[in-house]
Parts: sequence; C-alpha cells; structure tokens
Amino acid sequence: MKASQVKVCVLRIEGTNCEEESFAAFKRLGTRPEKVHLKQLTGTDVAHEEKRNLSDYQILVLPGGFSAGDYVRAGAIFAARMKSKLSKDLVGFVKSGKPILGICNGFQILVETGLLPAMSGVMSEVPEAVLGTNDSGRFECRPTLLRKVNKGSCAFTSRISPDKISLIPSAHAEGKLMFPLEKAKKIVRELEDNDQIVFKYVDPEGNLAGYPWCPNGSTDNIAGICNREGNVFGLMPHPERVFFRFTHPDWTRSPDGPGDGKAVFESVLEYVAKKL
Amino acid sequence: MSTDKLYTRREVPFELVEINLEGASDSELVELSRESGTALSLEEIKRIRDFFQQKGRPPTDVEFQSLGQAWSEHCCYKSSKIYLKQYVFGINTRQVIDRGDAGVMEFDKDHAYALRIESHNHPSAVEPYGGAATGIGGIIRDVLCMGAQPIALVDPLFFGPLDYPFEKLPAGIKHPKYLFGGIVAGIRDYGNRVGIPTVSGGVWFDESYVGNCLVNVGCVGICEKKNLRKNAVRGPGDVLVLVGGRTGRDGIHGVTFASAVLTKESETESRGAVQLGDPIMKEPVIHALLEANEKGLVNGMKDLGGGGLSCVVGEIALAGGCGAEVDLSKVPLKEEGLAPWEIWVSESQERMMLSVSPRNVDEVLHVFRLWDVPATPVGKVIPEKSVRLFFQGEKVFDLELEFLTAGPEYCRPCSAERMDSRKKEKAPHAKARYDKELIKLLSSANICNKDWVIRQYDHEVRGNTVIKPLQGKLGHSSHGDAAVLKPVEDSFRGLAITTASNPFAVGIDPYKGGKTCVDEMCRNLASVGARPHSFTNCLNFGNPEKPDRLWLFREAVRGMGEVAKALNIPTPSGNVSFYNEAPSGAVLPTPSLLGCGIVRDIRKCVTSDLKREGNTIALVGATRPEMGASQYYRMTKSYSGRVPDVDILALKAGMEVVIGGIERSAIVSCHDISDGGLAVALAEMCIGGDVGAEVDLSRMEKLRSDVRLFSEANSRWLVELKKGKEKQLPKDRKTKVVRLGTVGGDSLKMTAGKMLVNSDVDKLARSFNSTLWRLVG
Repeated sequence: MKASQVKVCVLRIEGTNCEEESFAAFKRLGTRPEKVHLKQLTGTDVAHEEKRNLSDYQILVLPGGFSAGDYVRAGAIFAARMKSKLSKDLVGFVKSGKPILGICNGFQILVETGLLPAMSGVMSEVPEAVLGTNDSGRFECRPTLLRKVNKGSCAFTSRISPDKISLIPSAHAEGKLMFPLEKAKKIVRELEDNDQIVFKYVDPEGNLAGYPWCPNGSTDNIAGICNREGNVFGLMPHPERVFFRFTHPDWTRSPDGPGDGKAVFESVLEYVAKKL
Repeated sequence: MSTDKLYTRREVPFELVEINLEGASDSELVELSRESGTALSLEEIKRIRDFFQQKGRPPTDVEFQSLGQAWSEHCCYKSSKIYLKQYVFGINTRQVIDRGDAGVMEFDKDHAYALRIESHNHPSAVEPYGGAATGIGGIIRDVLCMGAQPIALVDPLFFGPLDYPFEKLPAGIKHPKYLFGGIVAGIRDYGNRVGIPTVSGGVWFDESYVGNCLVNVGCVGICEKKNLRKNAVRGPGDVLVLVGGRTGRDGIHGVTFASAVLTKESETESRGAVQLGDPIMKEPVIHALLEANEKGLVNGMKDLGGGGLSCVVGEIALAGGCGAEVDLSKVPLKEEGLAPWEIWVSESQERMMLSVSPRNVDEVLHVFRLWDVPATPVGKVIPEKSVRLFFQGEKVFDLELEFLTAGPEYCRPCSAERMDSRKKEKAPHAKARYDKELIKLLSSANICNKDWVIRQYDHEVRGNTVIKPLQGKLGHSSHGDAAVLKPVEDSFRGLAITTASNPFAVGIDPYKGGKTCVDEMCRNLASVGARPHSFTNCLNFGNPEKPDRLWLFREAVRGMGEVAKALNIPTPSGNVSFYNEAPSGAVLPTPSLLGCGIVRDIRKCVTSDLKREGNTIALVGATRPEMGASQYYRMTKSYSGRVPDVDILALKAGMEVVIGGIERSAIVSCHDISDGGLAVALAEMCIGGDVGAEVDLSRMEKLRSDVRLFSEANSRWLVELKKGKEKQLPKDRKTKVVRLGTVGGDSLKMTAGKMLVNSDVDKLARSFNSTLWRLVG
C-alpha cells in the first residue's frame, strides 16, 4: 500500500488537544490523515455525511491531551465511551493487524480500554495496568531520553536501531506505569519475554536513571509498551513534538538531521506498506 | 440606614425591583451604591437619576446593575483613557489590522496574529486557584473572538516574599506561599488541559505585593486573514447565539470588585465574585467556534468577560451600528431561580456570543452539538441603537446604548507630591572580590531558576515551540529571553514572544522605568533574532483617585509611549488594572509587557546557553553607572535615584548589531543584560551551556568594579561569536561592541586588573537552581 492511500484516523473528544501535531506528522509523510470525533464513529448527533467507519482506516491514532478533563482517572472517560460502543470494531481492527498508536493521554486510554498490555487476548475486560501519578506529584514538561529496547516486534520502531537513544520529550502528570503490586515482577518478565517493552527512560549515557531522567518513577523505567503482536503501541513521551530537529529542546547546539520522533511515524508507514 | 423605601417590587412571578432614585438623599444614594455592589460614585448615580427623570420612569434593578457594570473602571477605563490616548494610542496604526478584544497584527501575507494581556489580580488574591485559572480562560476568549486559534500563553506573576513571616501578615490576607502554589496550579491545570502552551512569563517578588498579588495573563493567537472577524454584528436581523458554559451566580460583580481596593472583608464579601473555570468546556468551544467561523457561518463574535451579558450585548450590537433585543429566559442556567439582573451581569465562564445570519443558525447549532457545547439563540439585532430585555414575557430593560456605553471619562488630579521623603543616595562598600555577591544574587528569589514553575506548564503542546523558555545543554537549564513559535506549517517565519517588567525601576522613577520596560522587551526579542513588532501591556497600579498613584501611572505610560513611538512599535491592545491596594498600601507600580517579534527564519534563532570552547564573548552596548533599582543595590540595601535611562539611538543600533549578527550566524548564543547585570547574565549563559568563561572587564568603560559587574544599564547584550565569523558582526557607531574574553574551562573567571570573581560553574548552578525548590518546600 502506498503512503498516499493510507487513511489515518486521528480520534478525538473534548479535551484531546494534541490532534493537530499528530495529524501533521502523518500529513508530512504523505498519508491521508483525518481528525475524527468519537461521535462520528458511534453515529451520535452527526449528519449522514459526517459518519465514519473505523474499518475504512489503516491506522488509528489516539493523541495526547486531557480527554474529558482526565477527571476520574487519566483516559478513563474516553476509554469507557469507546469501549461501550466500539469494542467490536476495535477488536476487529487489531485482529486484522492494523496499527494503533496511543501517545500520552492516548497511551492512558489504551491501558484503560484493555488494549494494552493485553497480556492475554486482544482486549482485556478490565485494565491490567495503570498510569499513575508521577512520583513528583506534579505535571512534568521536560526533555526525556528513550532507549529502544524492543527486539523487533513493535510496528512503530523498525526504523530505530537497537539501543539507540532518542530524544522524545514528556509532558504529563500521570505517567508512572504500574501493575498490581503482587504480580508486578511476573508481569514485567512476561512483557520482556513477549518483547512488549519498547522504550525505557535513560540518562545521556544510556543507563536507567532516576528523576528527572525518568520523569515519573515508572516501573523498570518503562516509557512505552506494545501488545504481543506489536501493532498496538502506547508511550507517554511525544514523538510528534520532535518530528523536526528545530523543535528539539537543544537543537541550536546541533541543528542538523531530522527530529528523533519522525522515525516512529516512518516505521509504522513501512509496516503498513508491507502488511496491508 | 434603611434604603427599603427606594425599592418597589414589580408584580411579576420573579424577582424584579424598581429603584426610586427621585427624592432620595445623597447619603441614601451612597448607601444604595454600596448595597447593590455597583460601586457607582454619587455623581454617577445622580447622572442616572437625571436620565430616568427625563424618561419619566424609575430604573429597574436590571438597568441599574447594568450601568454599574458598564461604568466601572474595569469596563470603561474612566481614569486612564486620557493618558493612554495622549501617549500610546496611535503609534504606527498602518500595521495594526484591528483593535478589538485582542489586537490584531499582520504576520505574513496571508496570516495575522492576535495578542492581548490582562490582569486577574483581585480574584486571584481571594481564590488563587480559580482566579488564575479563569484569568487564562478569559484571555483565551479575547483572542478566540477575533477568529484566531490561540497558540501561546504568557503569565507574569508578582508576589510577596515566599518566606514572609506569618505574624506580619495583615488580617484577611493570604500568605504569599499559599497564593504562589495555588496560582501556579490554577494556570497549570487550565492551560495544560485546554492545550495551549505557556511559553513565557516571569515571577517577581517584593513586599509591596503581600497585600495584593498580581496575576497577569496574556495570550497570542494565529489566524488566516480571511477568517478574521470583528467584535461586531453585521446588521439588523442577525441572531445572537450564546455558546459555551451555562450561566450561574458565580462571578457576579467581578468588575466592580476589580474596581475597588481589597479589604480584610474581601474574602467573605467577594468570594462569589470569583468565577468557576471549566477548561473541558473551553477546549471544545475553541474547536467548535473556529470550525463554525472557518465555514463562514459567523458574522462577528465577542467573549463574555467582565460584566457578562450586560457588556457583550450592547458592545457587539453598537459596534455594528445597531441595537439588540434579548430574551433572558432563554439563557441556559446552572440553577433555577436566578433573577433577571443576575443573569444579565453574571460573569460565569466559558461563554461567547456569536452574531449569525438567520439562514446559518441551524448549521452553527449543529457544529456545537457535535462537541456537546450548549449553543442557544437568545436574541436578535435591531436597527435602533437600544437594548431591550425580556424575561418571561415582561420587558425588564429598555435603554439607549449611547447612554449605557457613554461611561464617564475623568481627568483626575495627579501630582508628584509623594516624593516627600527623598531617599538619600547610598552606595555599597567597594570590595576586593565579588564571588559571594554573585552567588547571593543568583540564589535570590527574583533571579533564581524558575524551572519549578516552568516545567509544570506544558510549553510544547501543539508542537510549534522552536525556542523554549528553558534553554541549555540536556540536563542543564537556564532562562531564555524570549520563546519562538513557528505558527504556519509551510513557512519558516517565526513569532517571538516575551515578557518584560521592571516594577523596581518604575517605583523609583516611573518615567525612566516605563522606558526601561520597553527597552527590556526589545532586548529580549532581539536576543533570539527577532525584530520587535508589537506589544500589549497590562498596567497594574494603585487607587487612581489618589493623585500620587495616578502620577505614577501617567509618567510610566509617558515613558513607555516615548520609546515605543521612536521605535514605531504599536500597542494594538492593553489593559489597565487600578486599585491594586490593600490596607498595607499600594503595590509597586507594575506595567507588564507582552512583546511580539518577527523572526525571518527560525532556523537562525539562537539561545542563551554558551556553545563552544574557544569562542569569543563580547558585550554590545554602553555601560553607565545607573545603579538605581538594580538587584545589587536592593540586595546590599543601598539606594540610588538614578535608574537606567534609554538612549533610543543606541538601542536601535544595538538591536541591529545583535539581530544582524544572528541572521549572519556570527552569534551563536545571546543573552540580554537585565536583573543582576553582566555578571548574572554571563553566569546564566555558563550554567545553561555547562561550560566556563574568562572575561576581562577592564575593557569596559572606566567604572567601579561592582558597577561593571552588576549595573543594569539598558540596551546591552552579551553575545558569543562563532570562531572565524567574528568579523561578520555588523558595526554601528551608535553603539559599541567590546570583546571581553572567551568561552572555556569549568569556572567563570572575571577580572579587571585583578581577579573579581572565580567560581566553579557547578557551584553557580547549584545556587541558581536550588532556591525556588527550597522556598516552596
């Protein structure tokens, strides 16, 4: 499939606020992205010509933001609205091998929906993990360095070489990936065995490090995970904010080359080109 | 005193009262003003009485309240207009596209940008979290109603010292640390949720702000020119559609509360004047409104801010040369049982008024329904310049707009009398070394790293922030002078945004202080490679009914206007906030400026952190012994009345050298010299770059060492020149460029015949970085 044929659904509700830059990232690579309100998929309050069908798209993106204010728990309301009406469509989308990307709030939504980590099956009935409040107790907007630890399963990182350190900035208050305490170690081992861990927060030397390199206190410094098949991917940092070099926080010190986030979008396009 | 006899209830199934002004004594009228919360003066009430006498009927409470709103200082600028007209209006009007709720300037051939800053001081002093949050909400609407997409927020904040002793706190006043925490959290939670990056701002501390903190909020937006709208109806027949939040009892009398001094009873009496913010109503309002506007469905729009419906209806109608009829019973309410006057003046948040042609109303309502945002036709535009209100079929209001909006304009007495206790000049003792002084300055609250605040605000959402507020090598950070956004996808043209204020200088010499503020704004913009293009200002002063306070205002405006006019930088919008006083006295006179500049190519922008060992460090601009209001003098408890003046030709020349040097890639880092002088500026450049520097200050003018180190003389920059490109720096004989030394090593060494400062950069960084974290605990 050629890039110009790839339709990308950038899904939003009230409070989703990173849709413009997520839309732009796909647009710049020649695909056909569209900003779609959840109600256009569920068919509520919309005119006939505004209705959309999830299966018409090749890629689904859940952008960052504060969907529905993140009241209750980050991502919980968006996830509940989606799950109540679109469960079947979502499961079908994932099963057909189409990729889903959740950035920041989108990652939180994927976890709340049960599409990640999806330890068994495509979508768990209840969340198996949570993105809890940062250890600092504050919203943290800062540059973060991510080491790619995925060994090849993830559809979104094929263009990033193993162990490469990418600068992808974070901006969130709830990014601490946690599992039920008594099972945490076992789950992390399983995630490793399944090649589901994609990015870890590191310092400039590439070592796992504490605050502020890890902005939230996440389990094992995990910044992003995928499902077992590698076509559903969620991460807290924002690759769409560093599509170009000149939005890197320190770009005036080394202005050449593309932005570190671009490879995430190129990778998934490569995946779609091959698989779909 | 009983004023009962002044009120007559009209026989209707809701609360409606006629006010019998005729025959009331002066003292009864004064009591009426107090009781109604309108803060009208006796003369103003008498003018209302005479007007209704001619009409042959008494005013209803709805009409009386409405006049109180429209004639408040906040709404009609009755004390300030005369000076604003004289000194700042009318600069370079050709580049100004519109002066509406926000000013609109040209960005490029197809795009315009909108800018505005205003205060939310009193609400934030009473309820810091909600006051600051709704401040953000209000300023976003001001930009939005021009048709522009908000793209940046700016927040200059002014507090009492964070370690202020509790026992000294006046009755009814909240502790600075509590206010600081609440206000930062309010800005964070609203700004981040609504998805607009906070890219610039500042935090100032001074004892004068203990009784009345200042919260200024600014917003900048971008718009395709074809989507720009006026804050006006198109003509008779237009339908007025109220969109956004529901109307409730929150925020009643916000503007009149803002137009009086704070007292110890403000907490209990005026808590209800603070509105409740809801960013998750605002966020979809932005989407729906811009979508409806881009589809060409909206004729004009205006935000509901101070005064609520009572201000917006009359203003949007009159701006289109018309009047309006509104049915108040159609307004969606938060709770049942609001009296018509309450609906009319409520300042409930997240509301906008659209003027729509009848054939487009259904489509507009549809767009808002998709986003679950209430949108309700509440009235229509009529040819006569009057406003008529109905409630449950009863006419409750009928006023000519000329009277309603013809607020008084005062030429209040103004005098420099306060200069009674002329302070004596007192210089600090000269020292052999200044290491300790530099450390002390870097760790002082006004200079130290504000990362604790900045990193709680999302400054990158929307993905267009090219130059960020914190700059440096990864893991190291220092303050930049201005942020730069790249607002148009297919263009490398940038919009630089900065904040400038110097209340200390304005407090000592308001005229030179006003000039200094504009100079600082220009320096900041030039530092990243931007040409100053426009600015908006929020002027925070004390009670204008006191002649000395008004004099400070006039002088500061005169100073600002003089520099802005000489540089041809217009002020397409602005805001005046008077009555910033508590029983403990007035705040320092505080103009805060939001400056915008144009960057031709963002790929040329530079930051403040030093880049490479071996590069040359140079000083642009002349240093004079103007130590008044300097952080060094304040720290050493010295005093001088000689605050920095502005040599306009030197400022222009300096900007050309700096901007030209950046555009030619000769300058690889640049920092303006402001608080703490050259020593602090250079230390910050070292801290951000995590590298040392060695400079010889004897190449500067012959001055005392502490003046060379810490003078805050205007129109000066430190620049790092790329090796081999030094000659590319433009020359201009109206300013001077002195090579001071080089980048390199692990320590900052400053000499002038002998060593003045020799400190490890790590140590400087620790002092600079730890203060705020320690103070907020």
